[in-house]
Amino acid sequence: MTDTSPSPSSASQRALRRRVTGVIDAGIELGDNALLQIDPARWSRSPVRWLRGWWIVAQFAAQMLVLALSPSSYRRSQLPVIYRQLVASTAPLLPGFVALSALLSLVIIRIVIASAAAYGLSQYALDVLVRTLVVELLPLLVALYVALRFTMPSGQEVAGMRQQGVLHALWRAGGDPARDLLLPRVLAGVFSVVFLAALSAVLSLVMTYVSLYGFTAWGFAAFTRAVGQVFTPAATLILALKAFFFSLVVAMLPIAPNPRYDGAPLSRRDEISQLGRVFVLILLIEVVSLVGNYY
Amino acid sequence: MPEPIDSVPPVRHLEQKARLLLLAMVLLVSVAVGYLMVARGAFERTQQVVLVADDSEGIVVGMSMTFSGFPIGRVGRIELSPEGNARIIVDVPHKDAHWLRTSSVFTVESGLVGGTRIRAFTGVLSDPLLPDGAERKVLRGDAAAEIPRMVASVRELVNNLGALTSQDAPLNASLRNLQLAAERLNGPRGAIGVLLGNDADSRRLSQALERTNALLARVDGLVLRADGIAQRTDGMIARADQQVFGQDGVVSETRATVVQLNGLLSDARNSLKKVDAVLVEAQAIGANTREATTDLGSLRTEVEASLRKVEHLVNEINRKWPFARDAQIKLP
Repeated sequence: MTDTSPSPSSASQRALRRRVTGVIDAGIELGDNALLQIDPARWSRSPVRWLRGWWIVAQFAAQMLVLALSPSSYRRSQLPVIYRQLVASTAPLLPGFVALSALLSLVIIRIVIASAAAYGLSQYALDVLVRTLVVELLPLLVALYVALRFTMPSGQEVAGMRQQGVLHALWRAGGDPARDLLLPRVLAGVFSVVFLAALSAVLSLVMTYVSLYGFTAWGFAAFTRAVGQVFTPAATLILALKAFFFSLVVAMLPIAPNPRYDGAPLSRRDEISQLGRVFVLILLIEVVSLVGNYY
Repeated sequence: MPEPIDSVPPVRHLEQKARLLLLAMVLLVSVAVGYLMVARGAFERTQQVVLVADDSEGIVVGMSMTFSGFPIGRVGRIELSPEGNARIIVDVPHKDAHWLRTSSVFTVESGLVGGTRIRAFTGVLSDPLLPDGAERKVLRGDAAAEIPRMVASVRELVNNLGALTSQDAPLNASLRNLQLAAERLNGPRGAIGVLLGNDADSRRLSQALERTNALLARVDGLVLRADGIAQRTDGMIARADQQVFGQDGVVSETRATVVQLNGLLSDARNSLKKVDAVLVEAQAIGANTREATTDLGSLRTEVEASLRKVEHLVNEINRKWPFARDAQIKLP
């Protein structure tokens, strides 16, 4: 259980500590480095707290994975909740995302084809398009889109529930907040990322074909062969793994307990730092996949 | 069920929509996987062609082998043979395998820009089909490898050009001389001056020309006199003609002589016939003489025999009459 509903006795202690650290922070921000001596724990607290925060996130992710893989999470009684989150995660995003990805694909396809033709290298245009658009750019776009449109608001909602003690209440009422509230959201996030990535990949491939050959079928064999040359077994595996890890990061990190959370009310700053963390992790995965593809 | 705390508004036909989404997902992923497998050639029945190259630089697994610009196979594996050659194993689908014949030639080309290409050429499409697993040596055409050689050649060429056009180069000197010659050609002495070089020689040449002219005038006079001689010779010939072929000329007299000669000849022929008769007589005499000669031979042998007998007789008498002889030998 990751529920961190506050108890009344510890609340006053935390308020006092926050006031003290607030004073010290203000002093340090004014340039008085000597104030660091008042609270020596600050020297070491930051990295330790950072590690502890990520440890909590990792624990949450492991718990969600176990729940997602256990059949009891998919009992008939659970299905309506999962379905609801599934539809909520994907259906409202579809029109906007399809429009956005189609526009982006069209622009990039035009740029690549035009510049390849200008340099007399049009035979490589398809290869470049598949590599940049389908393999690299669209999964990244999907991950960020889903994070912004679904999992971040969803995580905000969960954080609110945590603060209001809703999860605790559910626990006391005999329910399992992790299975009933959190897992459907995580599953919906994963589903949304994978679904939209596959959809946009197919869409951009179709648009690439139409841009290159027009509405005819005679280029299909050559197109298929060129696509097949890009998707070597290694590249396909890396793409699948990348999409999977993107979806995990996007689905879990916003819903996981905030590693910086210290009992203060949620603010916009927390949202932005949460988005930053998601973005950094996605970029990290992207870099690793690039290393795997091109080294 | 945690219905009240779920803030998502209720959706109509929720389950159908969710199932639709899941179905779409399964469909998308399976279509993508199926398409990729087709694209990777997972469902094609293939045969193998093994291309043996010196090195496999630029060749990657999955690249196409083209025939007339159309991809007909893809590299499935690259391995190092025990001889140290690269063995490129190309999978060719059965439907495209008929383009490859036993006489096909395979090349690996790498251009200045872009990747390496494997190409197949078939000159005679009626040759037998290439068997599965056939090994062929691959020809390598490398534009990049030609560049250093070309640069070296160009450098040499440029050096030669530099040597040709330098200030003290023979070509430059020749050009300067040519210019000098052209100037003198345009000068008062013209081509003669250019040919002879100095003024004294050219003056002498002018003198020689003048003398040659005088000589020619004298030759003219000589020719006129020769003409006169020729006319006189003509007259002499006319006279000789008259003497030879005229009325009492040599020819008519000769004709009379020949008639007389004919008469003489017939007389001589008659005499010869008489001589023939004499000869026949002489032959008969000769024959008689031969017979007489043989008789003389036998007569001679008989005479010789009689003489030998007489000699023998005398010898006998000498022996039987020993006193008549003094057989003593007197020493001084």
